[in-house]
Order: sequence, then structure tokens, then C-alpha cells
Amino acid sequence: MTEEMAGAPPHVASEFYLWLWFRSDQGDGELVMDDEAGDVTFWVEDRIAFRPAGDARATAVLTGDNPGTSLEARAALAGGKMLRDLKLALRRGEREYEVVLRGPGIEITAAKLPGLLKGGDPAEILYERAYHYEDLHYVLGCLFRAFAAERTGPAWQETTLPAMRAWVSNAVGRGPDASDDSF
Amino acid sequence: MGFLKGALSVRRYRVDGELPADWRERYRESLEANAFREAPSATSKEERMGWVQAHNLLDTGFGNTQQWLYNHYVLLALRIDKKTLPAKLFRAHLDKRVRAWCEEHQRERCPSPVKTELKEALELEMLRQTLPRVAVHEVCWNVNDGWVAFHNASDLVNDHFRKLFMRTFEMTPMLFDPLDFVADRPELAEALVSTGASDLRSEVAS
Repeated sequence: MTEEMAGAPPHVASEFYLWLWFRSDQGDGELVMDDEAGDVTFWVEDRIAFRPAGDARATAVLTGDNPGTSLEARAALAGGKMLRDLKLALRRGEREYEVVLRGPGIEITAAKLPGLLKGGDPAEILYERAYHYEDLHYVLGCLFRAFAAERTGPAWQETTLPAMRAWVSNAVGRGPDASDDSF
Repeated sequence: MGFLKGALSVRRYRVDGELPADWRERYRESLEANAFREAPSATSKEERMGWVQAHNLLDTGFGNTQQWLYNHYVLLALRIDKKTLPAKLFRAHLDKRVRAWCEEHQRERCPSPVKTELKEALELEMLRQTLPRVAVHEVCWNVNDGWVAFHNASDLVNDHFRKLFMRTFEMTPMLFDPLDFVADRPELAEALVSTGASDLRSEVAS
């Protein structure tokens, strides 16, 4: 970000989380980023927090098994709520991460890193964990760039947004059974 | 919890600018100068903060760079101590003392200046017996790539961190923004900023 430019508006992070959720639901969450992160697979884990538009506080938090497929989650979207936090699992090669992406700053919270070292030399532990933290940040950056390209291109209005609206309204319209066949 | 073990919850900052040529020596000195110091008096209520080693919050020496500098990673922790009295217990003790004073002086009510005096004396007495609430938040700074991760999400604690970081290292940590992910594509960043929020409600679409 340049010094002159204001930060990202809060809806950018919310829509990034939504895009991740939508993509993971629609296409098994697999993105191939040839010259960047390679193959990355991701899926929504057991926590989604919503906020009303124009408010930073979470007013609804869904936890438990597959909250992303629940009727409540889609109903929150259909009611105009936006995403504030999203718990995501990511797999890149052999490495698997779990992370709660939080707030408009896309903060990495409650991240579980795939460390092998459990004790011993603190320096070795630090190198390993810092490497995985940087890798996680890098993968999120690759995903965000893919989102940003789609979000700012004509495809967003023409294809993505109508598909997201259908995804939300179909799930809500089908009622409680919608969660059974979403994944 | 943090960079050495457990789940990681961090706010990320960008630290731009060149490191001074003698940064190891200079930072060693300024870390020593800004290290955590115990309160001079057991009755101090003031919040105290400073750097400690990440491995043990009682280790406040930075003379040995091997204990805080690992290749290009600076690993520290911010320690914040504050003594607070348990409010209900304090009120209960104060009540008893006020009643005892009234009985002793055969008065129905305790005058306000006396009550203030009793309150101050009790506060000092209880502060002397109270241990501080101690919080420790890890900091990991990659000096080569110019990022620092602070293991806490509270705005207030992050303010304390930023101020102490600036005072210690004379560099300003800039809070990470999602647009930093597209820093190499300013046209994409500008386009994102100019987007409005998408509305998923179907009545909006129709």
C-alpha cells in the first residue's frame, strides 16, 4: 500500500472471506496458482462470524460442524450481514494450516502451524514456525490477489455476484435440508 | 503462546527503512534502556511496561544478543504489569473500617475527609499485599524482510507496543493492510478501494 492511499475499506476483507467460502463450497476449494503458490486447497472450518453492514462488531457467530453449509449462515448473508471472521483450513503441498482470519485487516489469529519440532533448541523452533507463518501469509496473499483480480474485473458483476446470490437464495429457499447436499 | 509454541494470533506490521550500520550494538543498548523494570514501590498502581526476553518474563537483560537475535529474527516480548485491587473486597473492607470509625467516635455518619483518609490507607495496605497482573506479548521482527508480528489483537495493547517499538528502534511500525497484498499492483489496489460493498440480498438483484 502506498503512503498516500487510504487503507482497504472494511467490505474488502468481508468479501474476501465470502469469496473463499463461496469458492470452497462451489469448487471443492481448490485453486491452482501456477506461478505463485502452486496448488492450494482450502475449506471453511468450524467458525464463521457475521457483522451488520457498517458495524465492526460480530453479532452472530456460528460454530460446530460445517457452519458454512448451514441454513443460518446463508440466511445471515441473505439478510444483508457481512463476514467478520472466517476459520479456514489450507493445504499447500504437504503443509496444512488452520487459521481464523479476523476483521478488516485480515489478521491471522488462532493459527495452527504444521510444526514438527515440539521441543529442544528454541532457535530451531523459531526458524520453523516463522517459516510457516511467512508461508501462511504468502498463501493468503496469493489468494487475496486472485480475489482482487476477480473482484475488480467485469466477471464479478456479470458472473460471480449473480452466482453468489443464487447460492445464497437457493440454500435459503430450500430450507433446512439445503445443508445436506451443499458439500 | 506465539512464535515458540501454541496457536499464533498476531497483528502484522511493516517496518520500512534502512537498519543503521551498527544496529546490533545500537539495539542492544536501546533494548537494555527500554527493558522492563519492576515498580520502585510495592504500593505503585501505575501500569509498567518494557521488553523482556521471550523465553522468560523475568529475564530483562539484552546484553547477550544470542538471547534475542536469531539470524535475521529479533524475538522479544512486551511485558505489561498493573496492580488492580479487587473492587468488591476493597469496598467490603472499607465499609467495615467506616463502621468501626463511627462506633469508635460514636457518630452516625463518617465525614467525607475521614472516609477519604480511610480509603487511601486501605488502598496502600492492600496494594502492598497484591501481586500485579502480568501480561506478556511476543514480538517477532524479521529485520531482512521488514515485517514484525505482535502477538496480541487488542487496540490498546498494540498502541503500547507501537510506542515502545518506536522509542526503542526509532522506526515506525505500520499496521498491515490488505492492500499490502497487492502493493506491487497499485492499479489493483486503487480499483479495490473504489469498489462498493456487494449486496447478496436477492431483492437487490431483481
